[in-house]
Formats: sequence, structure tokens, C-alpha cells
Amino acid sequence: MRVRKNSYPVSWRLMDALEAVAAALWPRRFSAAVPYLMLLPAAVLTGLLVLGLWQMADGSLRTLDTATFLPSETYSLANYHRAITEKLFVTVASRSLYGSLIVTAATLILAFPYSYVMVRTRSAVLRKVLLIALFLPFFIGQVVRAYGWLIILGSQGMVNEALGLVGVAPIRLLYNYPAVLFGLVQYMLPFAVLMLAPALTAIPEEMEAAAGSLGANWVRTFLYVVLPMAKPGFIGAGLVVLTLSLTDFAIPAILGGGSQDFIANAIYDQFFRTSDQGMGATLALLLVAVGSMMVGVVFALFGAGTLAMGRKS
Amino acid sequence: MKGDRSKAVTLWAFVVAALVMLSAPTLVVLGASFTAGNMITFPPEGLSLKWYAKIAGATDLRDAFLRSLVVATICTAVAIPTGTLAGIALAKYRVRLAGAIQVYLLLPFTVPLIGSGIGLMLVFGHWGVLGQLWPVGVAAAVINLPFMIWAVTASAAALDPDLELAAANCGAPPLSTFLAVTVPAVMPGIITGALLMFILALNEFLVSLLLVDARIVTLPVQIYNSIRSIITPDLAAISVVFIAVAAAAIALLDRLVGLDIFLKSK
Repeated sequence: MRVRKNSYPVSWRLMDALEAVAAALWPRRFSAAVPYLMLLPAAVLTGLLVLGLWQMADGSLRTLDTATFLPSETYSLANYHRAITEKLFVTVASRSLYGSLIVTAATLILAFPYSYVMVRTRSAVLRKVLLIALFLPFFIGQVVRAYGWLIILGSQGMVNEALGLVGVAPIRLLYNYPAVLFGLVQYMLPFAVLMLAPALTAIPEEMEAAAGSLGANWVRTFLYVVLPMAKPGFIGAGLVVLTLSLTDFAIPAILGGGSQDFIANAIYDQFFRTSDQGMGATLALLLVAVGSMMVGVVFALFGAGTLAMGRKS
Repeated sequence: MKGDRSKAVTLWAFVVAALVMLSAPTLVVLGASFTAGNMITFPPEGLSLKWYAKIAGATDLRDAFLRSLVVATICTAVAIPTGTLAGIALAKYRVRLAGAIQVYLLLPFTVPLIGSGIGLMLVFGHWGVLGQLWPVGVAAAVINLPFMIWAVTASAAALDPDLELAAANCGAPPLSTFLAVTVPAVMPGIITGALLMFILALNEFLVSLLLVDARIVTLPVQIYNSIRSIITPDLAAISVVFIAVAAAAIALLDRLVGLDIFLKSK
């Protein structure tokens, strides 16, 4: 008995049953549709996002009825008009845009030497250290990182206590515009380095040696050889940093202390403070349009790069 | 070469600045969690583990952490089958409209996080399912799904189509071929993707903030709410949980695929 049982174990019978079910549900002649069937769950999941955008579009066309505090039944473009004319929104939008441009420039300046050393170093240990220093903050999350900055920069934080030891009065380092920009640069650095690194890897080291042997010093080699060749990487990294810092919520909220709101904070306030869903949806949709456009440009110009999901040709 | 020294000095000045900037918050949080004082001061007032003892007894922090674990588990459980099937389909088959499908599946990356969060909040609110944890997990899966698909397609190079044909030739029916040949071939990608999904969902903040209410806050939201009032060292101790999980994830990732993979050019 025992031998017979082993010769056709239960797991095989189970597989047979599953195969039979699969064959019955999905006859062989449908096999051309198999890849589409495999893509279906991912399409449905992403569909939730599309549904969300649709709901936002619907909400953005309804104004808040101040008498009943309910969204209006009729559609109008009043929210969009308010979004581009009201001073508060224009101030917040220009603060975010201006800030994200500064953040992008500062991040790229810091990210380039970091990527360059990481790619070019002959020491495997150093490369690993630099990679770990990059991934650790990325995986820790924004809130904990911002909390660390609060400890360092707060009015009774490390920097001010250290300054106090040498007799300098406390300086207000937090809850201002530079603090937000500083926090954003730190948050964006890993993204920028990881997007620059493949572009630098693709530049043959012999190019630099050739420039050197022709008499160019390292500054000229960087300016006329490395930077131009790494241009696609810079544009890609720059646009990603620009979009992510333009749309960030946590850093302006925590390090700005409510006085340095970016667009995302204004959207949040519309939903949870003013309870004007329509206005919030309008601002969010405008931001989605701007953000998607910028990322769309990156993908269109360079492909999805390291994120490309298709067949390797 | 001329000026090698000035080049090294300049580069290293930037690298050290960047390293300090990247690591300072992590190191400071670690240090603050071991303080013996009741406030975070500099220089520290001595070492102790008392804040760890305190968070071990704090039910609100522990519950928030457990809720974050549930969210991360749901997210990973949703993303593994979804992302694996889509990844294999994109890598293995010549799909019609592949370009359009890719653009569509990359939507979670092109739509800014605040937009995705608000949209999902409206959808789940419309369905009346807000106030539970599973929508938060599903939302985390939606916004990070491209990572999972990317990880699977990246490892699909290890998938030799001849192997599947060989299995079929030996009489294996399609489902068996898929489970015994195709899936094991892309397993490194599945594990990498699952790891990314888990850790990103564990410290997901903005979408959680939009989808949870006061009864079901996740840990990042709990920390965010607390640092708005007063900064005490127990938050540093609980933050060390995130640092430990992140470190473990990096070690695993390095062992499984090697961190160097992120430096390769296509």
C-alpha cells in the first residue's frame, strides 16, 4: 500500500486537478490571450489610480456651497479660476517652484562628485560604503530622517548647544525656507546619485585619460568631456529631483513647521482644514498635470532607463 | 597626471559633505535613543536603555508598529502575484501595444504621490471602506507596483525560453511548466521586488496619512503626529526600529542581487 501511495503522491494529484481546472477554464486555443490575462491584475491595480484621477476631476468641477458645506450639484470651472488667481495659491506655487529649482541645482552639484567617485573607485569596499550610505536613508523613510534633523537643528538641538559652548547665542535654524530646502536636498540626493551613476558608468575611462594625455587638466576634462557625455543622466536626474521636490509633503510640513507650505501641504489643508474638497482636488489635479508632464518628458527623451520593464532588445 | 591631487581633494570634499549630510540624521537618532536624560541634549547626559524599556511598554507605539507590519504584509501579498505575472508577461511575450502598456503601468511613478494619495482616498471613501487597514496596504501596492514589475523583468534575462519548451516537450502541462520552470527562474527578482515593496510600505507616510483615521494610525504617521507636539527620546528609540529594518533589508538585498546592480548602465 505504502509503496503505491508514494508512487503517485498527493501533490501530483493536486497538480493534475489544477491543470484540469486551468485547461477547462482556459482552453489551449485562447493561448494567444495568456500574456494579456497575466497583465490584467496589474492593470486593475493601476486602474484604481485612474479611477482616483477621475474622481478628482469630478470633484474639481464642483464648488463648495458655503451655506450647506456640501459640494455643488452643478459643474463649473470656478475652482480653476481661483487656483490661478488667488494670492495664497500663487504664493505657495511660486515658493514650491522656486524652491525645487534651487534644490535641483544643489542636489546635482552634490550628486555628481558622489556618483563619480562611486563609479570610478577601484576599491570595492569604498564603493559598498558609498552605496550603503545611499540606501540607508532611502529605506528609513522621510519622517524619521526629518526627525533626525529636528534633533540636530532645533533651538535646543545639537548645533545650537555646540554653539552655546563657545558662547554663541542660539540661532533659529528650523522652520524657515533654507531648512526646508536643506532637508529636500538630503532627501533627493540618493535619487540623483542613482540616476547619474549609470550615465557615468557608460563613459569609458579611456576618454578621460585621452583628454589628460592631450594636455587638459582635470577641470577641463570634466567640463569638456565628462559633463557633456553625462548630459542625459543630468537631465534625467534633474527632472526627477525637480518633480519629487516640487510635490513633496513631509519635509516642508516637518522642517517648515507650517510656515513654509509647498503645494502638497496646501492640498492637504484644503481637504482636512478648510474641508473644501473641490478646491483641493483642483490643486491636486493641476499638480498631477505638471508633475506627469515633467516625468513624461524624461521617459519620452530617455526611455524609462533603469525602470524600463519591457523585453531586452 | 597633472593636478591629480587637487582633483582628489576637491572630489573628496564633496563626497565627505554628502556622506555627512546623508548619515547625520540616522546617526543622531541612533545616539539620541540611548540617552539617559529626559530631553535630547548635547552633549548627551549618559547612556541608558530606558527609552527602549519605555517603548516596549507603550501600547500606542506598539500597536502603530503592528499596524504598519500588517499594511506592509498586505502590500507585499498583493504585489507579488500581480507584479510577477505582469513582469513575466512583459519580459517573455511580444505584447501588442507594449509601449502603451508600459506607460500605463508606470502611472504610479508619473503621478505625484500627493495626487495618487488624494485620488485613492476619494475612491476608497466613495466605496465606504476607509477606516480599515487593507485599503492602506492596497494603496501602498498601487503606488509602488512599478518597483515589483521592474525587479521581475530585470531578472527575466535568466529565463531561457528553451527551458520552458523542454519542459513542455517532456510532457509537462502549461501550469506545471509555469510553476516548476518559469517562476523559479525569476525567483531572485521576485524576492528583490517583495523586499522593496515590504520596506517601502513599512515606512510609507503620505498615503498612510491620507487614508488612516485617528484609530488606525501607522507608525510613520504616529511619529509625525508626535514630533509636532514635543520631541522626546522615546521617538528616537522607536525610530531605531526603522533603521534596523532598513539595515537588514540592505544586507539582504546585497546578498541576493548585489547593490552594484544599480550602477550598471543599459
